[in-house]
Amino acid sequence: MTAALAEKNGTRAARPAAPEGPPPATPRRRPGRERAFDDVPRWQIYVPLGIYLVFTLVPFYWMFLFAVRPAGSTSLVPWPMTGEHFSKVWNERSFAVFFQNSMIVGVCTLVATTLVALAGGYALARFDFRIKNGFMLALLCSQFIPGALMLVPLFEIFKNLQMINSLGSVVIAETVFQLPLSIILISGFIKNVPPSLEEAAWVDGCSRFRAFCAVVLPLLRPGLIAVGSFAFVHSWNHFLFALMFLSEQDKQTIPVGLNTLIGADSVDLGALAAGGVIAAVPVVIVFAFIQKWLITGFSAGAVKG
Amino acid sequence: MNISKTQRGRATAAVSLAAVLALTATACGDDGSDSGKEGSGKGEITFWDNNGGPRTAVWKEIIQDFEKKYPDIKVKYVPIPIADVQSKYDTAIAGGGLPDVGGVGTAYLANMVSQEALTPLNDRIKDSSLNGKLVEGMVESVKDAAGRGDEMYTVPTSANNGALWYRTDLFEAAGLDAPTTWAKFYKAAEKLTDSDHNKFGYTIRGGAGSIAQALDAAYGQSGITEFWNGDKTTLNDPKNVAALEKYVALYKKTTPSADVNNDFTKMVAQFDTGTIGMLSHNLGSYQDHLKALGKDKFAGVPNPIGDGGTRVQVSNPVDGLGLFRSSKNKTAAWKFIEFAASHESNSKWNESAGAIPANTEAAKDPWISEAAPTELAAKALTDGSTKIVQLPYYLPDWNNISKADNEPEFQKLLLGKTTAKDFLDKMADELNKAQKEWKEIGNG
Repeated sequence: MTAALAEKNGTRAARPAAPEGPPPATPRRRPGRERAFDDVPRWQIYVPLGIYLVFTLVPFYWMFLFAVRPAGSTSLVPWPMTGEHFSKVWNERSFAVFFQNSMIVGVCTLVATTLVALAGGYALARFDFRIKNGFMLALLCSQFIPGALMLVPLFEIFKNLQMINSLGSVVIAETVFQLPLSIILISGFIKNVPPSLEEAAWVDGCSRFRAFCAVVLPLLRPGLIAVGSFAFVHSWNHFLFALMFLSEQDKQTIPVGLNTLIGADSVDLGALAAGGVIAAVPVVIVFAFIQKWLITGFSAGAVKG
Repeated sequence: MNISKTQRGRATAAVSLAAVLALTATACGDDGSDSGKEGSGKGEITFWDNNGGPRTAVWKEIIQDFEKKYPDIKVKYVPIPIADVQSKYDTAIAGGGLPDVGGVGTAYLANMVSQEALTPLNDRIKDSSLNGKLVEGMVESVKDAAGRGDEMYTVPTSANNGALWYRTDLFEAAGLDAPTTWAKFYKAAEKLTDSDHNKFGYTIRGGAGSIAQALDAAYGQSGITEFWNGDKTTLNDPKNVAALEKYVALYKKTTPSADVNNDFTKMVAQFDTGTIGMLSHNLGSYQDHLKALGKDKFAGVPNPIGDGGTRVQVSNPVDGLGLFRSSKNKTAAWKFIEFAASHESNSKWNESAGAIPANTEAAKDPWISEAAPTELAAKALTDGSTKIVQLPYYLPDWNNISKADNEPEFQKLLLGKTTAKDFLDKMADELNKAQKEWKEIGNG
């Protein structure tokens, strides 16, 4: 707001008269949190961040180095470069198939988790029912059950449902283990949307479902992206269920494939690193595209929910 | 907003129905103790490879040969990562879904036999082309590991053996003899170390798998040739204590300090990238050294000879093929086992793995004399020059004692937080108790 505009609006008159003497110095720093950051010299921010970045990236560099340098090379730079390890894991070690399977499991888990978490989260956010608190407590407690503990019962259930060796068994198991946290997160997001918005849509003739789709859903985008990406990345990386429920090579996923590159007494480090790069690429791409939404989503769910 | 009573009732009914279905489903499962059937000898069988990945190519070749010979049988090949094979078997034993044939090592054979997952093979071997064609030492190992007297639960296919790999170029440059004795080993470890330039004479195994290597060093130097003296283990014999003290004193002196977390992948990577003079690992890493260093820069010798003039080493796991009790087509499954353990297939597999064949005819094939470390190891196991200390793989607790319970203790020993005596006393105590319990349930 300029001084002239302030005068026009009368705000100046409302203020107490300025004291005699030299005009007060213009505040050089903005108030609040930003002011605290402005006080810190830049190097004190960038040097620790740089060290952290180097610490984080060195293992990735090492993986990349082993993946692209020829077998037997001890060079610390990725030159001369070779694609032999990528070719080996992709063609000879069936990573093309593993990648496809992991993608199917990841995308299906993402869709299933998001849809069910939306329904469950909406119920928790908008309805009051007798066992609501107990249900929330059960959801939280289920997070403490390790997947390995449920392995044999799940194995038997899927076996009796003729679902062993089916990617569907892994999708169901992953979805089930993702759901508690996802439902809790989504319900937090839905609670942040004022019910009056939905009620206004009902007054305009919308059904509950239509109102939800038209009014609530668009506002949940950060939350949906957070929950969906979390489900995708978790199922992409998860090893145990895929190892136990899938007993055919053409059904196995990337984490299982990576483990088969480590033998009893020998390990092909080049192939293992190339497999690691292939496994990391989709996750890096996912995070690169959604990081803005992810941060918004998690902070909204965590702080305001 | 309130949910109605009708809705609540429906939800309760749905949850109850799901629970009933789940419980019904779990109640119907069969487990590994299903006695299976002999079957028609035709159709599909499933084979789990217990070292899936590195051996996939050679197994697929063998399966192709088998299907050519027996066109009525199809083999479904499933590679299982070696690190998780025991948990995969345990889950399938508990929940059902075992294969017809599986690769089974002696390290976890007792566990599977005690769960009645495997079928005894003595009669089948006796009536087959394998009769009299299996290396006697390996037959004894699989019998011993199963812990059921003379009953054999796997057909041995290969054995590995510990080797001391060393850099011939570095030894030549330093004017050192090959480390064939423990005295030469310690001398070379010291002379090849230049820690200021990140060069070390030896790499010690401090992480996963450390116990077998430590026992090899202890018994190899002490010259004690039996693991049991009556009902008590010889593990904490004062000679073993002194030998282990000398061995762990190498840590940080002639080895990198990061070795406290060394598993075989890290050790092999260090050796193959050229900063280490000697490495204790089995024959399985031969191909890795060959690829990384070329054939002129390294060599391998069996465990060094002790002061008493005898080479002593601990037994290594023997790999084999097991026929699962729950198989619905045991006839076809046995045909596959017989074929895979036959001269040609066994030779092909072991040449690819750089391991010692279990088939006596395969053990005479020319490729063995061309792979010097394998030949030396094979001779060490068969010519009587080496005394083998048989580790108690038959104890169901062996894996816990030699891994989860005592690998962290060995790290403490390397870091100086415990003594060699305390470490060996603790492990000996656990082994004595396990042996007593094993005998109390009617074994031995």
